[in-house]
Amino acid sequence: MGMRVSNEQSDSAAESCVAILSKRFGGSDVVSTVEHHSNAFKMAFVRIHCPPQHWPAVAKSLRFDHGANYCSMVTGTHFPEGSDDRGWEVVYHLMRQPVVDQKPFTNTVLVASELTGSDIPLEFEILVALPQGDEPSVPSVQSVWVGADWNEKETWDLVGIRFEGHENMHRVLNPHDSPEGFHPLQKQHKLRYHDYNEMYDDAQGFGRKPTDEGRVK
Amino acid sequence: MAQMWITMGPQHPMTHGLWTLRVKVDGETVVDTEAELGYIHRGVEKIAESRDFTQITPYCDRLCYVSAMTWANSYIYAAEDLLEVEVPERAEYIRLISAECQRLASHLMWLGAYGPDIGSLTLMTWCMRDREMFLDLLQELGGSRMHYNYPRIGGVKRDIPVGFADRLVAKVKLFEKRIEEYEMMLDESTIWLVRLQGVGYANAEDMVNAGVSGPNIRAAGVNYDARWAHPYSVYDQVDWEPAVEKPTSVKGADCYDRYRVRMEEMRQSCRMILDAIEKIPGGKNTNYSNGDEMILAKAPTRAPEGATGFSNYECTRGASKFYIQGGGDGRGKNPYRLSIRSPMFITIPYVAKTMIGYKVADIPAIMGSFDPCIGETDR
Repeated sequence: MGMRVSNEQSDSAAESCVAILSKRFGGSDVVSTVEHHSNAFKMAFVRIHCPPQHWPAVAKSLRFDHGANYCSMVTGTHFPEGSDDRGWEVVYHLMRQPVVDQKPFTNTVLVASELTGSDIPLEFEILVALPQGDEPSVPSVQSVWVGADWNEKETWDLVGIRFEGHENMHRVLNPHDSPEGFHPLQKQHKLRYHDYNEMYDDAQGFGRKPTDEGRVK
Repeated sequence: MAQMWITMGPQHPMTHGLWTLRVKVDGETVVDTEAELGYIHRGVEKIAESRDFTQITPYCDRLCYVSAMTWANSYIYAAEDLLEVEVPERAEYIRLISAECQRLASHLMWLGAYGPDIGSLTLMTWCMRDREMFLDLLQELGGSRMHYNYPRIGGVKRDIPVGFADRLVAKVKLFEKRIEEYEMMLDESTIWLVRLQGVGYANAEDMVNAGVSGPNIRAAGVNYDARWAHPYSVYDQVDWEPAVEKPTSVKGADCYDRYRVRMEEMRQSCRMILDAIEKIPGGKNTNYSNGDEMILAKAPTRAPEGATGFSNYECTRGASKFYIQGGGDGRGKNPYRLSIRSPMFITIPYVAKTMIGYKVADIPAIMGSFDPCIGETDR
């Protein structure tokens, strides 16, 4: 018969995680809460609002105290019309996986209903809001998770958020000779123009003229 | 001997798509590697910002041309998280069956492509023959052979046709026998074993830290699987257990373990499909009309600003994830930002580094065993 992590398990894991985090980072602006998905199973996850200066400390705490061993995704978002202290946002999705190395000829069969404490798989969502400006930057966590390396490369490449301390930063999805400062997921880049469709006629947007400003469909 | 850089790709049989692996070699030994991606970057994330939530599904199909159904489903679960939709149980069963059929087709495509990498062209013809069965089944559901646009926010496009269940069961049962044929051919083949065993070691903790997921970590001896760990659909109601291998070395899983785990995973998918088609609520030979509340729930079309949704999904190559922020153009009709996590985008740079120390001739064997797909990598 099939199995799954129960709601009680994920609730208790998320609550104990939030209790520890609130105690540890109580005085600062780091706010952690238990949230629930709104689709079928309503599983719990931990959402943390974290100012950029505290992010490396929070990251290390999550990695080494809470077992968040898996950096799933890094998302950068541009809010040109947002408030002054949230012109950009970086969202990290981390996961906790009870995975350990195996001795030869052995395996670990994890049974969902028997997992307790820090073995329960859990999702973390960390929101780092960055102030308005042309040079958004956030400390890199490349040294905490190897998996954050290419995620951060992609976020810089597409959104233009600088990751302080990231080694070997380079373009990954855009052409390597893209003009400096060209990051297509920033909101000033639009897909369609007044009399031609940039998607087809000028895929990279390099041929855009200053006169096109404000004439976006 | 002087070391030198060799460029493999973008046109190379090893790459399974368009990307470049730059290899630094010392004689026959690989001493450094660099992956270069982005050849087919289409900007799906940007396009999605000017499409409404329904229109995004076909783009997600096209993320991976080998595994369209799982990618569309992956998006749909995130969109349902954002829009707060409850899905009818019959629709969840149909999605499970379609996703598992797609997993079989995708793993067959992987095996078929891996055969010529190793030197067995017969394998490719056999796999293409069997994959055709599942493409036919998926065509009955979605109307197309590769890009189905089948799942909908709140359910599925249409119900399973009358007679589909019988054809499904017959084909899956036939395929279960065929898996044994594959194993007889491959596990007895000296070439296959020599090329795969003891090559491309990767251990579980390293892989998780590097963001590798799915069958690749299950090959290293841990049955971590998003289908039970971050549950969705009705996987808790059907009969299955995650496929997991016992690695033969302290260094972790080799290429052979990764081949074994995918064969086992195909068996589990068959088991799941056979069980789910019997348990499907409303009966396996009933056909509800399009939009019936048994297969499609009503879903809002707009998401307010500040609303977010994300969900984990066990794709055929690992855990995929969509993160959607609501409140885009058209008073929330479009997403403000849609972000896609592709398992292979993270895996390929990791795999490139695991090749260090092996011979140049091992590169296709190692790369192929991780099942790269460039469509989803470059998005």
